[in-house]
Amino acid sequence: MDSAVSGGIGWVVAVNLIIWTGIFLYLLRLNGRIREMEKKS
Amino acid sequence: MKRALAWLLWLWMAAVIAGAFLYAPLAKGFIGQSSRILFFHVPMAWVSFVAFIAAGIWSARFLFLGRRPEHDRAAAAAVELGLLFGVLATVTGALWARVMWGAYWNWDPRQTSIVVALLFYGAYLALRSSLEDRDQRARLSAAYAVLGLAVAPFLFFVMPRIMFSLHPQSVINAQGKVEMESRMVQVLLAGSAGATALFFWIHNLQCRLTALSDRKSALEE
Repeated sequence: MDSAVSGGIGWVVAVNLIIWTGIFLYLLRLNGRIREMEKKS
Repeated sequence: MKRALAWLLWLWMAAVIAGAFLYAPLAKGFIGQSSRILFFHVPMAWVSFVAFIAAGIWSARFLFLGRRPEHDRAAAAAVELGLLFGVLATVTGALWARVMWGAYWNWDPRQTSIVVALLFYGAYLALRSSLEDRDQRARLSAAYAVLGLAVAPFLFFVMPRIMFSLHPQSVINAQGKVEMESRMVQVLLAGSAGATALFFWIHNLQCRLTALSDRKSALEE
C-alpha cells in the first residue's frame, strides 16, 4: 500500500474510532441514567 | 450490561475497525478500497435479521407463554432496532453499489428484498401505533411478528438466492463453502459478533426505558 493510501486509511480508522467511541460513551451514560431512574422508581 | 463487559465490547469493536482497514486484505475484483465496506455492511444486515427473528420469538413467547408485557416490549424494541440496522445495511450497500455498479440503486434482488423486509416491519410499527388498546395492540402485533418468522428468512436468505443477482456471493456460498481470504473471514465474524452484542445491549436499554415509561403512565392513570 503506498504512503498516500495508507495515510488516508489512517484518517478513516481514526474517524471511525471517534464515532464508535462517541456512540459507546453515549450508551454507557444512558445505561447509568436508566439505572438511577430504576433505583428511584 | 456490566461496565467491564461494556468496555470489552468497546475494545472488541475498536479492534474490528482497525482490522477492517489495517489487517484484512482487499477483496479481488472490487474497485479500490470498496470491499472494506463489507465489514460494516454484512454485520448490519446480519443484526437486522437477528433482530427480526428475535422479535418473532419474543412475540411467540408473548402469545403462548402467559402474555407478559415485557415480552411485548422486547418484541417492539427488537423490530425498531432491526429497522435501524436494516436502514444502515441498505445505505452502506447503496454506497458500495455506487462505486461498483455506478448507481446507488439498481433494484437488484438483494436490494429489493431488504426494502420489502423494511416495509414489512415498518408496517408492524404502523400497526402498533394505530391501536390504542394496549392488550389488543400487543396481541395483534405479536401475531404479525410471528408471521415474520417465515417472512424474514425468505427475504434475507431465499429470495436473493433463487433470482439472478449482481450482488457478491454470501459469506457462505450456495455450495455451502466459504470462499474468502481467512483474514477477511476473521474480521467479518468478529464484526458480526460485536454488532450482535451491541444490538442486545441497546435492546436491553430500550426495553428498560419503555418499562420505566409504562410504569410512569400507569401511575398517572
